[in-house]
Amino acid sequence: MDIEVKNLHPLEVRLLRHVSPGEAITSDRLVSELGYKIGQCNQAFSWLTAKGLLSESSREKYTLYELTDTGRAQAGEGLPAERIFSYLKEHGAASLPDLAAALGLEQSEVGSAFGSLTGAGAARLDEERRAMATGDGLPEEVVLQKALIKKALEAPLREDGLTVQEKKAISRLAKKRGAAGSTFKVIEKEDVTYTLTGEGDRVKKELLEANITGEEFGLLTPQMIQTGSWKNGSFRPYGLNAPVSRLIPGRTNAYADYLQWVKDKLVSLGFEEFDGPLVVNEFWNGDALFMPQFHSARDIHDVYYIKDPVHAKSIEEPWLSRVARTHEDGGDTGSRGWGYTFDHEFTRRQIMRSQGTVLSATQLPKAKIPGKYFGIARCFRYDQVDATHGADFYQTEGIVVGKDVNLRNLLGLLRMFATEVAGAEEVKYVPGYFPFTEPSIEVHIKHPVLGWFELGGSGIFRPEVTKSLGLDVPVLAWGLGIDRMALMHLGLNDLRELFTPDIESVRMRRGN
Amino acid sequence: MPKIEVPEKLFFELCGRTYTDDEMNDIFPVAKAELDGHGDGTVKIELNDTNRPDLWSVAGVARALRTYESGKIPSYDFFSSRDVTRDCGNRHHYNEESCLGVRDFSISFAAEGCIVTEELLVNLIQSQEKLCQNFGRKRKTIAIGIFRSDLITYPIHYIGADPDKTAFVPLGMTEKLTLREILEKHPKGREYGHIIADKPRYPYLFDDKGETLSFSPIINSAHAGAVEVGDRNLFVDISGPIIDDILLAANILACDMADMGFRILPVRVHLAKDTKYGREITVPYYFQEETQCSLDFVEKELGERLDAQECRAALQRMGVSSDVEDGVITIRCPEYRNDFLHAVDIVEDIMIGHGLARFEPVLPADFTKGQLLPSEEYARKVKTLMVGLGFQEMMYNYLGSRREYVDNMHISDEKVVFIANPMSENYEVVRPSILPSLLESESVSGHAVYPHRIFELGKVCYKDENDNSGTVTRNNLGFLAADNQMTFNDASSYVNTLLYFLRIDYRLESVEDDGRFIPGRAAKVVADGKVIGVYGEVHPQVLESWGCSMPAVMAEFDLDLMH
Repeated sequence: MDIEVKNLHPLEVRLLRHVSPGEAITSDRLVSELGYKIGQCNQAFSWLTAKGLLSESSREKYTLYELTDTGRAQAGEGLPAERIFSYLKEHGAASLPDLAAALGLEQSEVGSAFGSLTGAGAARLDEERRAMATGDGLPEEVVLQKALIKKALEAPLREDGLTVQEKKAISRLAKKRGAAGSTFKVIEKEDVTYTLTGEGDRVKKELLEANITGEEFGLLTPQMIQTGSWKNGSFRPYGLNAPVSRLIPGRTNAYADYLQWVKDKLVSLGFEEFDGPLVVNEFWNGDALFMPQFHSARDIHDVYYIKDPVHAKSIEEPWLSRVARTHEDGGDTGSRGWGYTFDHEFTRRQIMRSQGTVLSATQLPKAKIPGKYFGIARCFRYDQVDATHGADFYQTEGIVVGKDVNLRNLLGLLRMFATEVAGAEEVKYVPGYFPFTEPSIEVHIKHPVLGWFELGGSGIFRPEVTKSLGLDVPVLAWGLGIDRMALMHLGLNDLRELFTPDIESVRMRRGN
Repeated sequence: MPKIEVPEKLFFELCGRTYTDDEMNDIFPVAKAELDGHGDGTVKIELNDTNRPDLWSVAGVARALRTYESGKIPSYDFFSSRDVTRDCGNRHHYNEESCLGVRDFSISFAAEGCIVTEELLVNLIQSQEKLCQNFGRKRKTIAIGIFRSDLITYPIHYIGADPDKTAFVPLGMTEKLTLREILEKHPKGREYGHIIADKPRYPYLFDDKGETLSFSPIINSAHAGAVEVGDRNLFVDISGPIIDDILLAANILACDMADMGFRILPVRVHLAKDTKYGREITVPYYFQEETQCSLDFVEKELGERLDAQECRAALQRMGVSSDVEDGVITIRCPEYRNDFLHAVDIVEDIMIGHGLARFEPVLPADFTKGQLLPSEEYARKVKTLMVGLGFQEMMYNYLGSRREYVDNMHISDEKVVFIANPMSENYEVVRPSILPSLLESESVSGHAVYPHRIFELGKVCYKDENDNSGTVTRNNLGFLAADNQMTFNDASSYVNTLLYFLRIDYRLESVEDDGRFIPGRAAKVVADGKVIGVYGEVHPQVLESWGCSMPAVMAEFDLDLMH
């Protein structure tokens, strides 16, 4: 393992600098020599052994006796047996309850202490069943216990340092897990000794060389700035490759960012944005675009009908009459029309907008000349939802209105879209078919990642469309299929993902 | 878009040459066709022009390519016209008045001199199907029957027959059924019966001996209508209510069959009513009108001056012969086409015939000002603020289920817009609010680290009888925040901060009877006397319906009322 000395924790640094190869390193040493707390010793040992800088050389188990709070109190006022013995010496015989009351002891304590005195022949009960002292001095065991308590005040007692008698004496006063009333608590302990490894010694030398002391500043505090104490030392560097904690920022949606970018691009090319309602009628969705009412794309299996209201109240005049006549016999558009009887009820039927071109149609009567318009419109199709079909999706569409716009302008525009919006390397135009444009052109592009694909459809609106809606100038109409580029941009391959409700997936999503 | 599958061998034979896939990819666009696949001796072709039914057959595509490459217009000598009437021999076909109002016209022609092979039969049936389904609106306006003409005795009779007293053995069955029984029992009767079911009489075609040909547009007879491999002589009947459409269908089939080696034999059809072509028509009949277009118009449309010769050559490659006089092009539409509605249709053929690649792209010269909608600019402002408040922007579908948009929200469906023909109940309702979308997110995102703070700027749609459509579409903001502790006060802070920076002075009113919020912990936001939004703590009944277990607050604003 390659150790970056700058990344070592101060507890590790100070330890390493303090010890030498061959020395026994114990927590006792660190506590006394470096002022570490036991917890800090353990941290330093575990980190350094994990890094291979220290190795464990020995491990020793032993038992300690440590004074409890009760034990420390007894060191001052004496053990119950001692106190009972002294009391009886001074005040003569007394009943056990009287003794308890006089000495402030529990009956049970008095009972067991008196028991130990009688066992050692230092006390007995008289004829009236009162306790009386019988010897001159305390029993030897109590004396021993007193001495042990005194010694334990300085430091806990190691069992292996006691004599047989002492062990016996102390065991009477100790309980494992230190019951509240007992004098001593028994602690099973383990001392581990470590030594510096060769690698540890190398790192130590590196630390000395780099002059890293472990005394560097950690947090910069307001106090350090106010007092200027920061000037008296250097700052501990942070490990550059340490794991980073996660933030959850407020963020825009990556797909929305892409659509916004497309909008900005189109605005920069001189296009004005338009929009419209989601519920439209057959008139604007199809009739105004000179799609015959019997056209296969207008079938019940292609568009969504509204349940209620089934029909719009009315269709705007004079557009309705003009469009109806154009369908029937061409009206004044120079066309012979479709030659069928226009259905005035069907035209009012309401549907979910099925193509963005509705927006272009509704824009025509109010379009400026010259004018350029675009919209990114949510559309709805009667399609089985799968990776390439959504129940609703965005279409990007627009028109260019101008006295002299023509096919070559359309090609120029498509080339502009291909390079500006799609980053195309090559552009190819092929004749296409749309019911509302003639001529119609499809633009295929060679994308650096996606290869050749159809970027969009376009054409010059048929005069049946424009003239019926009061425009006597040519109108270029175009639509761009930007979904494929959006998916590529977002690193996705399923259209349904664009509208996912999954928060985590949207949080992590990013554009290219 | 019609798709056809054609045998490679037959296709290349008809083209007069073979093509590699790359070559097909290059040449197909002149017929607005795309190569959809090629393998196992079959070429799959997608045809994009719904107004060019002549291209929906192996012969049709081959003809277009052959003509384009050779510049030679195919000539067919069997067409009658206003000026020419071809000899029909004894072949007469009478429409009787009883067919009027039922299915007005039935016309026919005969063909001979070619042995029907398996391959030919399959392709003939494919052309017939495409014409009837796509061009003939699922047989409503065009139905085609092909018969063994050896079994037929002229003249042919077409009548409106009594559905209960007329019976024959339909193709695919062995027992005699009345016309009405065929509608009920025959699969084709069930599929297409609706076209004529409510008529008092049904269309019926039979020969002079009384042998049934067909119950058009439903089914042929099992006798004369069962064309088989090895047959040589055929009779083709086309019926429908629109004379131009059935004449065109007859012309297309006749040209296709002629291209495949048949000799076409005209039939004199005696119609039951007058048409613009008279009451007697010898079929196949050239009915198309001349169309004109000036050279100036071509220049205006294409942005480039082509001279008369260039225009004529271009049209010729598209199979269109033309004359140019005094700067005006007059075209003669090919017999198998009828798609020249306007001068622009001529321009497009010139464009394709001349070669699209020969037109140099040039940008429009007009200066125009680019501009976002005010609603878009406002939405962006709101978006910036919401992001600053720590919210994640979401985007959702606008169609959903009744359960999501109504039931789970504990609201009434009074203002909700329903789809009349939903594909599934999952996409049956147009969303009336952004809030259910946000709750759906919450319901599927329990695994995402909390707190959740999400918003959407999007459209909603609901009923409004003041509008012409009875509905309105609005641009809304919806947001939702969810965490272990999330209270009305948190929501108030978000709303207050947002509206402060949007410079909107508002007051709050209490919300009554809104199942979406905890009573007493929701508010209507009123500005300029209008309710611009609502917010509050999500009612646990709503959270429960969505399967959410984290407390949440949510808000919705009508942005169109705010700027």
